[in-house]
Amino acid sequence: MRHKLYGYVIFCSVVLCVTFGGIAAFAQDTGVFKLETFGSLERPVSTFDHDEHQEMDGMECSDCHHVYENGVKAADQSSEDQACAECHTLKSQGTQPGLRQAYHQQCKNCHVEKKAGPVACGECHIK
Amino acid sequence: MQDIYLLVAGPLAWAAWAIFFLGSAYKIWSTLAVAKQKDQVLLNYVSFRYALRSIINWSIPFNTTNMRLHPVFTGVAFFFHIAFFVLLIFISAHQIMIEEGFGIGWVTLPDIVADILAFAVLGVCVFFAVRRVIRPEVNYVTDWTDYGLLALVTAPFLTGVLAYHQVGDYMTMVILHMLSAEILLVAIPFTRLSHMLLASLTRGYIGSEFGMVRHVNDW
Repeated sequence: MRHKLYGYVIFCSVVLCVTFGGIAAFAQDTGVFKLETFGSLERPVSTFDHDEHQEMDGMECSDCHHVYENGVKAADQSSEDQACAECHTLKSQGTQPGLRQAYHQQCKNCHVEKKAGPVACGECHIK
Repeated sequence: MQDIYLLVAGPLAWAAWAIFFLGSAYKIWSTLAVAKQKDQVLLNYVSFRYALRSIINWSIPFNTTNMRLHPVFTGVAFFFHIAFFVLLIFISAHQIMIEEGFGIGWVTLPDIVADILAFAVLGVCVFFAVRRVIRPEVNYVTDWTDYGLLALVTAPFLTGVLAYHQVGDYMTMVILHMLSAEILLVAIPFTRLSHMLLASLTRGYIGSEFGMVRHVNDW
C-alpha cells in the first residue's frame, strides 16, 4: 500500500513537472505589452512580434530598449531589464513622452523612417 | 499606401488648413468690401451692442419666434452644429494626433460616446436630405449644389465611422476620411458653407437695423 502511494506521488510529480515545464518551454511571447498603467482601454490592444523585429537587419536592442540621460539618448546603454512603464509615466514629463505617446512614437517614427510597417491607428489596433 | 497616408496626413493637411484660414480671411474681407462699396449707409448704422444682442439671442436654442415655429428642425440643427465641433475637437484619435504632433492635449470623449454622436450626425445628414425633398418650401430653393454640399459634409463622418469600425479596407477608409475632411475645409470659404464665417456678420447687420433704426427686437 505504501509502495503504491510512493508510486502515485512520483507519477503526479512527473506529470506536474512535464506540464509546467512544457508550458514554460512552449509558451509563445504573446507580444502584448504590460498595460496596467492605462487602466481601462479605449482601443483593442496592439500586438507586437518581438522576434520579428529582433531579427531585422541593423536592429539594435537599444533602438527600443533605450536609455535617456538629460534628454539625450545614451550611446552605449540599453534597458532590456526594465519595463517601459518604469520610466514612461501615464502623463508626459518634460521631454519624456507619456507611456501611450512613447509606444506610438517608438513604433511610428521607425516605420515612417524605414517606409515599412503600420502608421495609422487601425493598422495596429485591429478590431 | 503608407506614402499616400503620410501625404494626406502631412502636407495636404497643412495645405488645407492654410487655404481655409487665408480663404476665410479673404471671404470676410471681400464681403465687408462689397458692403462698403454698395451700401455705405448700412455701415453707418452698425452697432456693436445691437449686433451682439442679436447674435446671442439667435444662439440660444428655441429662443426666437421662428425657432419655436419649427421645433424639430431647430433641435436637429442645433444638435448637428454642436455635435460637428464636439466630434472634431474631442474625438480621442484627433486629440492623440495633435498631442503627438504639437505637444498639446485636452480632455477627450470616450470612444463609445463619440461613436453614438457620429451615428446621430449621419442620421441628421439623412434628415437634411429628406427635408430638402419633401418640404415644398425647401425643395423650391434647392438645386444639385445643395445635395453636393450635404454630401461633402456627410463624407468625413461616414468614412470616419467606417474607419473606426474597420469596415472595408482600413487604409483606404482612413485616407478617404482625411481627404474628404480636407476638401470640406477648403470648401468652407468658397461655398455656402461660408455661413460659418458670415453668419455672425449677417446677424449683426440685421440686429443693428432692428435695434438702431426700427427699435424692435429681431428674434
